[in-house]
Amino acid sequence: MKYGTTVGTAVCCGLLLVGAMAGCGRKSDISLSPRDALVQGWQNFRLAEYDLATQDFNAALAGAKAGSDEFLQATFGLANVWNLRRPGEDTARAKKLYEQVIEQAPDHDLAAWSTLALARLQHVVPVGHDPDYPAVRAAYRALIEKYPNHLAAKEASIYLNALLISTLETNQLLQAVSNLKAYIESGAREFRAPALSLLAVSYNTLGRQQERLEAEIESFKNVEIDPANPFNEYAWAYWNIATIAEFEVGNFELAREYYRQLIKEYPADIRVFPSKEALARMDRVEAELSAGKKVTR
Amino acid sequence: MIRAAFSFVRSYFALILVAATFAWSAIAIVSYRARGVPPGAITIRLGHWQLEASVREAIDQMAEEYRRTVNPNVYLIQDAIPEGTYGQWVSTQLMGGTAPDILQVGAMLPGNIWLSYYQRFFVPLTRTVERPNPHNVGTEHEGVPLRKTYKDGMKTAYVDEMQEYMSIPLAQFGSRMFYNKDLLKKLTGLDEPPDEYRAFLDVCEKIRAQQGDDGRFFIPIACSGYHFGMMGGLMWEPLTYRAIEKADFNRDGSVGNDEQFVAFRTGRLDFDFLPYRARFKMIEEMTRYFQSGYTGLTRDEAVFLFAQQKAVFMATGTWDARSLQEQAKGQFNVGVMRYPFPTPEDPFYGPVAPARPREQVGTGFQFGIARTSAHPDVALDFLLFLASRMGNQELNRIIGWIPSIQGTETDPLLRAFEPNIVGIYGAMNFTLGGETVVRWNQLQALYQVNQITYQQFADTYKPFYLERGLLDYMEQSRDWRRGMQRNELFLAGIRARALFSEGAESNTEWIRYRALTASRQVWEELNRSRQLKLMEKGIATNAVGPYEYSPEVLEIVKKNLKRKADQQ
Repeated sequence: MKYGTTVGTAVCCGLLLVGAMAGCGRKSDISLSPRDALVQGWQNFRLAEYDLATQDFNAALAGAKAGSDEFLQATFGLANVWNLRRPGEDTARAKKLYEQVIEQAPDHDLAAWSTLALARLQHVVPVGHDPDYPAVRAAYRALIEKYPNHLAAKEASIYLNALLISTLETNQLLQAVSNLKAYIESGAREFRAPALSLLAVSYNTLGRQQERLEAEIESFKNVEIDPANPFNEYAWAYWNIATIAEFEVGNFELAREYYRQLIKEYPADIRVFPSKEALARMDRVEAELSAGKKVTR
Repeated sequence: MIRAAFSFVRSYFALILVAATFAWSAIAIVSYRARGVPPGAITIRLGHWQLEASVREAIDQMAEEYRRTVNPNVYLIQDAIPEGTYGQWVSTQLMGGTAPDILQVGAMLPGNIWLSYYQRFFVPLTRTVERPNPHNVGTEHEGVPLRKTYKDGMKTAYVDEMQEYMSIPLAQFGSRMFYNKDLLKKLTGLDEPPDEYRAFLDVCEKIRAQQGDDGRFFIPIACSGYHFGMMGGLMWEPLTYRAIEKADFNRDGSVGNDEQFVAFRTGRLDFDFLPYRARFKMIEEMTRYFQSGYTGLTRDEAVFLFAQQKAVFMATGTWDARSLQEQAKGQFNVGVMRYPFPTPEDPFYGPVAPARPREQVGTGFQFGIARTSAHPDVALDFLLFLASRMGNQELNRIIGWIPSIQGTETDPLLRAFEPNIVGIYGAMNFTLGGETVVRWNQLQALYQVNQITYQQFADTYKPFYLERGLLDYMEQSRDWRRGMQRNELFLAGIRARALFSEGAESNTEWIRYRALTASRQVWEELNRSRQLKLMEKGIATNAVGPYEYSPEVLEIVKKNLKRKADQQ
């Protein structure tokens, strides 16, 4: 091959490579204000662009006044990236950053969320490890005590009681019942429906079915639904209450009411045929019992 | 001079070839895109994988209609890409920033890849779906939010991981049994086949006993691996419905693979269970009427048998209806029937077939808008035009598919596809993972071709499932923990959105955060703990199932009845 050809080919390849490299790799806009950098950082976080999110949060950190709201937001953002990114997580670094937020502004909104994140780090452990449950429960309790009215504490309360219930041990269940009753009586609106559902689950394990049914009905009345989500609907709740009323409490009248509601409001739901069968089954069972016959399955 | 030029060409031949090819393709693309488009007009490009002539024709006609009635300045160019290369094509277009304004989405690539593309390259449509479709003015959908005009509430378009609507679906799909009307009449004397299972088997028997002019016996049902699953979903799988009474521990109305395992492990379910025996019996009965070697054949080979009039029946979907009609034109008439199914009076199947199978109303043929679109508003408006009551009806009339919008009329041939939304459904789920699935598939394949009996199937699979299934179950537990971590990540993003929002939007975002936290991060641990407890307790063959009455409850019902009678 001639020297000229080799040089020409090399130049062309070089140009192509430079061109290709110029098009590769996305960069974050570092000329943004701290506030905009934070918004962009969270956007990149949601897109799983963790390196870009880190750049954005670092840019916000550099541009913000130490100790300011934006400074704390950026630290919290960075902590979330290092905590939750996969691969490349660095939970030790995340912990430090969360602790920084708590230390710098213990009364700030983000201090409560950082405390929750630290508790969750102990609870949601890597695959193959078991959480240190007493430590996790202690962390949730500490958060609830420190920030009693904060949403993070209410969320922690739900996790704490779910953990107690999942032991299926009577003492722990009774403790959960007491906690959840107190939570509901406090008048908290947030996480009220899951608190009532957890109460119902506790009663179920304790064999207190009538109380379970009442708690489920209350939970249904308090459920928070994202109106834009087409998969969020009440069909499951109707079915849940109807089946508890039928099979655990023996309250056929109430069961009928909820089965009918499901059929009427959700005619295309998968449980419509089973609901129709349930209505027919209850009629048959009542007829057999009234006639003194043995109930057939 | 010539010599020098020749020498130059010889030296740089490879580079010249590359440059010439590049120049040719650039010119070809530019001239293709500019074809028939007057200067200054808005050009919308639409990429899809539907190579059927009727689809391209329908889109062109609707674009013409849009230009005529809505915006005379809009021209549409289609990029129809074969299915086999659509995934690569769409990836390069999106990553290169050269994607068409509108792209067909949702298939030809794995779901997680689509998710990442939606996040990076597509325009979220959530706000649009909550508003009325402007092209529905003057119809019954005037003023109704777009998503509520859909037969399925637009569920197909919703991406749960993003909590956003990302596409506009334009057609509904379903599957049925197609048949050759003339051949059926000739071989059985019937104008229409029966959809009662036993009578249908008799018809198949009659067909199988007859020979064609070439001396070969007729095949009652043309089948392949592709068609087998389609038939199963609406024939033998629903026979397992009664298993929910034994194994739906969390009472969500279905049997999950974890619940299936726990039910087997605790002796609540077994292969002696009538609904499971019924499923396998029906497979055995139906496969008698398929052509031999069907498991190794492709979809096209089965279609070929049907088109060649060697088979009377074939299962397929709405997507094939028009092309089958075209292939049969001038040769035979195509009919469409519901899948045959036993009645509740059937001596064997009756107890497990209390109703006909339920069908899911599913929409597809969905399109998203690329973020790189120069005219996203126009692209969206064109899609809304196609999703309007009249537009959707017309689009699907031309293609020969079922409209996805409520209140639209369907082609007469496709009326038989009207889904049965109330009925029974499958409740057998052995897809626990790893080796248990592989073993299941191997043994079922042998059963399908009569190499083993049901008893042999059950005797071989059950011990394997109980032993190896535990490993798969535990692996699933690990997956559940991974899922919890993914949920933390997802919820952190949702919470950040709430933290940065203000006013009414803030309220909605916090409701979303709380609802998602409650639904995703609380119950899984409890379910697992309950299932493990059940397995720890060991065999409980006579345990009261989740939908069965305990003696105590029957006693309460009795008391309630007595009290009621006393009051009267």
